[in-house]
Amino acid sequence: MAKTKSKTKSKPAAAKRPADLVLGDARAKPGSKASGWLRLGDLPDGQPLAIPVHLVNGAKPGPCLWVQACIHGDEYCGAFTVNALVERLDPKALAGRVIALPALNITAFQAGRRTSPFEMHGTGDLNRCFPGNAEGTITEQMGHGIFTALKAHADYLIDYHTGGVKETRWTLYADLPGKVGEAGAGLARAYGFKVVLPTPPTTLGASAFINAAKQGIPSLIVESGGFGPAFDSHLVEDGAERLCNVARHLGMLAGKVKDFGRQTFISDFAWINGTTGGLFRPTVKGGERIAKGQVIGRFTDLYGALIEEAKAPAAGIVLTTHPGPMMATGDTLIQIGLNPKEV
Amino acid sequence: MKQIQVGTARGQAGARTEGVLKVGVLPDARPVELPVIVMQGPGDGPVLWLQGCIHGNEQCGTFVIHRFLAGLDLSKLKGAVIALPVLNLTAFQFNRRTSPFEIYHGGDLNRVFPGDPGGNFTQQMAHVIFQALVGNADCMVDFHTAHLKETRWALFTNLPGAVGKRAERMARAWGYVPTFPTPPTTLTGAAYMQAATKHGIPGLIVECGGKGPAFDEAAVADGAERLRNVARALGMIEEPVTRHEGVHYVSDFAWVRGRSGGLYRNLVEPGQRIKKGQVIGKLFDIFGKPRESVRAPEGGFVLTVNPGPLLISGDTLIHIGLNPRPAPAL
Repeated sequence: MAKTKSKTKSKPAAAKRPADLVLGDARAKPGSKASGWLRLGDLPDGQPLAIPVHLVNGAKPGPCLWVQACIHGDEYCGAFTVNALVERLDPKALAGRVIALPALNITAFQAGRRTSPFEMHGTGDLNRCFPGNAEGTITEQMGHGIFTALKAHADYLIDYHTGGVKETRWTLYADLPGKVGEAGAGLARAYGFKVVLPTPPTTLGASAFINAAKQGIPSLIVESGGFGPAFDSHLVEDGAERLCNVARHLGMLAGKVKDFGRQTFISDFAWINGTTGGLFRPTVKGGERIAKGQVIGRFTDLYGALIEEAKAPAAGIVLTTHPGPMMATGDTLIQIGLNPKEV
Repeated sequence: MKQIQVGTARGQAGARTEGVLKVGVLPDARPVELPVIVMQGPGDGPVLWLQGCIHGNEQCGTFVIHRFLAGLDLSKLKGAVIALPVLNLTAFQFNRRTSPFEIYHGGDLNRVFPGDPGGNFTQQMAHVIFQALVGNADCMVDFHTAHLKETRWALFTNLPGAVGKRAERMARAWGYVPTFPTPPTTLTGAAYMQAATKHGIPGLIVECGGKGPAFDEAAVADGAERLRNVARALGMIEEPVTRHEGVHYVSDFAWVRGRSGGLYRNLVEPGQRIKKGQVIGKLFDIFGKPRESVRAPEGGFVLTVNPGPLLISGDTLIHIGLNPRPAPAL
């Protein structure tokens, strides 16, 4: 893998941007921070459907890093990480801009759900509807509003997610041919989680990160920590530090870029849905290597009798598992990173 | 021994039998049938009733019950165990505290005992369960879980006389450090209190482990062993009873609700002693700006606590065991 030049500009527009950074009702002059709300629609009571926006406008020129969390409303770890990043940043010392959105799918976030409770007819997965549709469902309209702003501002995108269990730690970068893919690999290296999926544009084709990459914006998804009680506060400060490392790598912050060591690239992920239901206990953990056919969990019935031992349909690295202790047919049993290779 | 019959499960000396207890009918006309396991020893002894998931999303108890039953040697058991691992079955299926079929009332199954055969969905279910309970059981343990996997506390029916004494012996055999001798005026609609006050059946509530991803294998293994110790104390298993040190009684619990909402960072753990006024968590707005430090309104044991990371006004913030004091020698 060729080393990516850290100052790669994928979009030449940066130099021509107005001095003030404006998004929604927030405006940050050079060398300052601001926060506010970006309106994406309206709620049934006439209140605006608006998402929180942090702006950090550096005193010096440089690229614009866009960091977003809770595109799936119940994946909270990123919201805390994004806020912790903004807390750390000194706009006087920053070269470039950071736009940080802690709660993208705000109504889903409020309800503690993956998708918006106002989504009636579509699938409602905000990370499956990009570039969005100005006349679509509530989620598609949100996707359109977010993507319009993203295209106008961002030079790099980082999108935060969480998995089923606390040990979840991996990243995906949009592996498009040429500079966008190379710069994406650079983001993954600077973030430094060991397991990385170079993601072809045919995978997660309607996600924010692949669509951004198609617009020339190098993009990274971070999968970090778990839902609900699997929230891991340790990952918040750790994540903010890794984001600062990405900013150093991009030349936005001074200081030496930390090298997290060799990474393991996977060729794809197998997203396995359970074919039975019952009480469930996983027997493997995030980050563990597994062999094909290995027992990965046990289903028991309500009398305590074994229904089935779930076996790994493929070998690889455990990306995340269902935490149990119970699940229905078709729920996500495990995600396996295939063909792991040290690079 | 008296013939045990719970739904289709019929006790048989020296055997494990299984069956179902029908507690309602669904919109598609299918019955709601609770799983029932009866394990009856060859000899006489008490009948211990175990129930899990009276709140559908509190699943550790189901596993404790299974683990305990798997370790029982039927040939040596005195008396019988009746186990209903999942009581509020439709709530369990939806991973919710209450049943999705409960429309107009709160639907908290542990607040509506003894139930009502002409009541709403949850009350009718409670009625059927309660009839089976009081018709068969001599003593009972009701399993719950809370927010965090470290949750470990117990309550016993602290009635005057023999019923209270027997419940206390069960609680001490269980042996969690924070233990609440519960007066009959608290949790009056709970299954265990109704069984004790109306039918002289002593009972425990065990709060053990956490919900969803806070499920805790260690709480299950430890709980199964403590449950075995309760069976020893009741004379159902001839083994020396483990004496648990350090048990403290609390005088009551304060169930404190959040007065504000936002991103929340919890700073205390179950089992910890806290002081009145101590900062127990911090609230932030959506931008990460500190809003307020949340303080403990009372001192005592942290029984359970909301781990966040989000909090909404009125959500359970913390459960505090008040005025802890070392339990007296029995």
